[in-house]
Amino acid sequence: MERIIAGFVAALRESGIRVSPGESLDAVQALALCGMEGRRSSRQLLRLTLVKNVNDIPVFNEVFNRYFSRFHYVDPESDLPALMDADIIGMEGGEFTYLNQQQGDDHDDHGPLLKLDSDISPEDLAELKSLTEIDPDDMDGVEIVVQMKGYRGKAKKPPKPSRRYTQNPLVIELDKTGSVGCGVTFSPEEQAAMQDVVSRMMLRLRKDMKRMKSNQNRGKLHVIKTIQKNYRHDMVPFQVALRRKRREKPRLVVLCDVSFSVSHASRFMLLLLHTLHNQLLDVRSFIYNRDIAEITEMLANMPVNDLMETIDTGDIVDLDENSSFGQVFLKFKKQYLENLRGRPAFIILGDARNNYGDANDFVLDEIREKARYMLWLTPEDRDSWNRGDCLMDLYGSYCDRVEVVKTVDELSLFVEDLLRDIYADRADPLDRKKIIAARAAETYDSSDYYHRGSSAKSEPVFDPGGRSKW
Amino acid sequence: MISEQGVKDFLHAGGYIADDAIATAVFLALRMEKPILIEGPPGVGKTGLAKALSTALDFPLVRLQCYEGIDEGKALYDWEYGKQLLYTQLLRTQLDNYLSVSSDLREAVERLSAEESLFFSKNFLVQRPILRSFLSEKRSLLLIDEIDRSDDEFEALLLECLSDFQVSIPELGVIEAKRKPLVILTSNGTRMISDALRRRCLYLYIGYPDLEREVAIVRVKFPDLCEDLARQMVVFLRKARDLTLRKPPSVSEALDWAQVLSIMKATKLTPEVVANTVGVIAKHQTDLQKVTNLAVQELN
Repeated sequence: MERIIAGFVAALRESGIRVSPGESLDAVQALALCGMEGRRSSRQLLRLTLVKNVNDIPVFNEVFNRYFSRFHYVDPESDLPALMDADIIGMEGGEFTYLNQQQGDDHDDHGPLLKLDSDISPEDLAELKSLTEIDPDDMDGVEIVVQMKGYRGKAKKPPKPSRRYTQNPLVIELDKTGSVGCGVTFSPEEQAAMQDVVSRMMLRLRKDMKRMKSNQNRGKLHVIKTIQKNYRHDMVPFQVALRRKRREKPRLVVLCDVSFSVSHASRFMLLLLHTLHNQLLDVRSFIYNRDIAEITEMLANMPVNDLMETIDTGDIVDLDENSSFGQVFLKFKKQYLENLRGRPAFIILGDARNNYGDANDFVLDEIREKARYMLWLTPEDRDSWNRGDCLMDLYGSYCDRVEVVKTVDELSLFVEDLLRDIYADRADPLDRKKIIAARAAETYDSSDYYHRGSSAKSEPVFDPGGRSKW
Repeated sequence: MISEQGVKDFLHAGGYIADDAIATAVFLALRMEKPILIEGPPGVGKTGLAKALSTALDFPLVRLQCYEGIDEGKALYDWEYGKQLLYTQLLRTQLDNYLSVSSDLREAVERLSAEESLFFSKNFLVQRPILRSFLSEKRSLLLIDEIDRSDDEFEALLLECLSDFQVSIPELGVIEAKRKPLVILTSNGTRMISDALRRRCLYLYIGYPDLEREVAIVRVKFPDLCEDLARQMVVFLRKARDLTLRKPPSVSEALDWAQVLSIMKATKLTPEVVANTVGVIAKHQTDLQKVTNLAVQELN
């Protein structure tokens, strides 16, 4: 029985479920305790002991069905000799071997067959009985076959690393041609992928966050609380209570263009922020086209897909209009700029195509005064920034940074970078150095070492107005 | 020794309807002395299972509610500084006498340190839930509730307790459990529990029950509710779960609703009845509307 379980565990590992030796021991012990009285209960036992994650349960069921599907029981007493003669049972010492490893692909039609080894006992066979799915048409079979459909031998396929542990960059194209426009909702996979991106990002940011949090806790001595806390120690201050510094999440204000041309990118931005919100950020989100509206509340309270649908219907901002950055900025200044608190970081997502309206770029200057940092993300390539009605150069001159963003990964990288900046900003000077050094080490790219600095384009140009060039 | 069916039966007697998976898990946990980690949506009876088990098996329930920032001082043990101080104060004269024998300072320190263990003995140890359940004379049931609310550090702290049923106290050494308790951990899945902890547990996922089991649960808790109404109610709730609600109605909502309906002496589910009692099953404003709409569609 142990061997069967070992084989099954191996099959589970092939499918990406992580099973430790300890867990397989548990499985064997559990089966020994309960006995195997039928397929269902055996499956339950194995599932209880081997699977430790809800998401793995469907995979487990599939592997279980596949592994124990064509496993026919023969009465060990009467049929054992016949069994031994059957050509598909190879008698070899000690180990599982796969027939197709020896005989090439001859066995492709019924899949690779698992040989059982010689010290198999009637008891073992009896135990296996219960694992068989009883198929009335197939009752006369005299072979013991544990079949693994689609399995092509270990040598040919390296084991897949478990999904949760992969570090491969995840790329979701933002500018899907053809799907740009209305009616975009997120499939569960896309949402899961986004969760994945965010959780990876959180992992990377965790150190910085911890540092900041512990800093925030380190205030002056809170005398009253200390006395209260040490009352039972005869006022001997064993435990010290410190005043908590004002704990605040980094503030972020996001303006997302939802007009036709960039809608896909802004939707992913919204989803990203939705996932980030509450975890480590205080985000205020706005969407705009010709009009601007705040959707912070809705983001927090509605399922993402519902919100996307509401946006698509044009109830929040009219989608049929042409986008007008000038008007949007003016309205933003009138309605919202006054009540923005605590020097937020600004992210504006849009293509800066103003449809030849007034630029009203003085508003950006005012925002810049209030903002800690301004980042403009555009889905358009640098080449087209000055063509037609695009005001990217003008608007860009007010921003600390302008970036071209095309994939979710890029997007998350920029947001992460921004968050790091904010954390570094809050941290002690000593910590700040550490954070910056850590990031520099992480992002140092040695591939273009010899060409760096040669292009004059990237040189910052001094601007008497105090605006930075990027 | 009890069998799986036995587990089912005594849970039933305790008012908890278990399915095969739950019964098997409990049976195995009792036999293999391993903790069970239960995950599932809120309100499907994760904590309820622990309570039912504690009454059915007559194990005293020791409950540890996890929260952000819980540490060993709250979960395992703590020293009673105050009492230690008080004793040193009271024993001062005794100590003076005891130490006056020694000729010089060095000897006094040695004499004192020989008695150090006196002040770090079990007299001054405050037992927190985990240690209390380990030291209980009777086999107990340790419920570590909502483990996902605690921090990673706390999870790591649990590893030793859960795999070896022992607590290491630097001043005292290792304290082993007198009777290994039955440990149940619950999680709502708001945070990923580390694999190290998962590996030490049997993993049980409790989802929404199937139709028959849910009817049975409602019937057990409210026997005076007529069978037809209970069934109608459960069927309706199952449909409501298929809607994309923010907070789908769970078994606990089903029980609340059954209670409300039996108080109202309702005999049949109609859109009006649902509209009047919708607050029991839907907990968000947007959900209210969806559920009432469903009632109009389904029950007319």
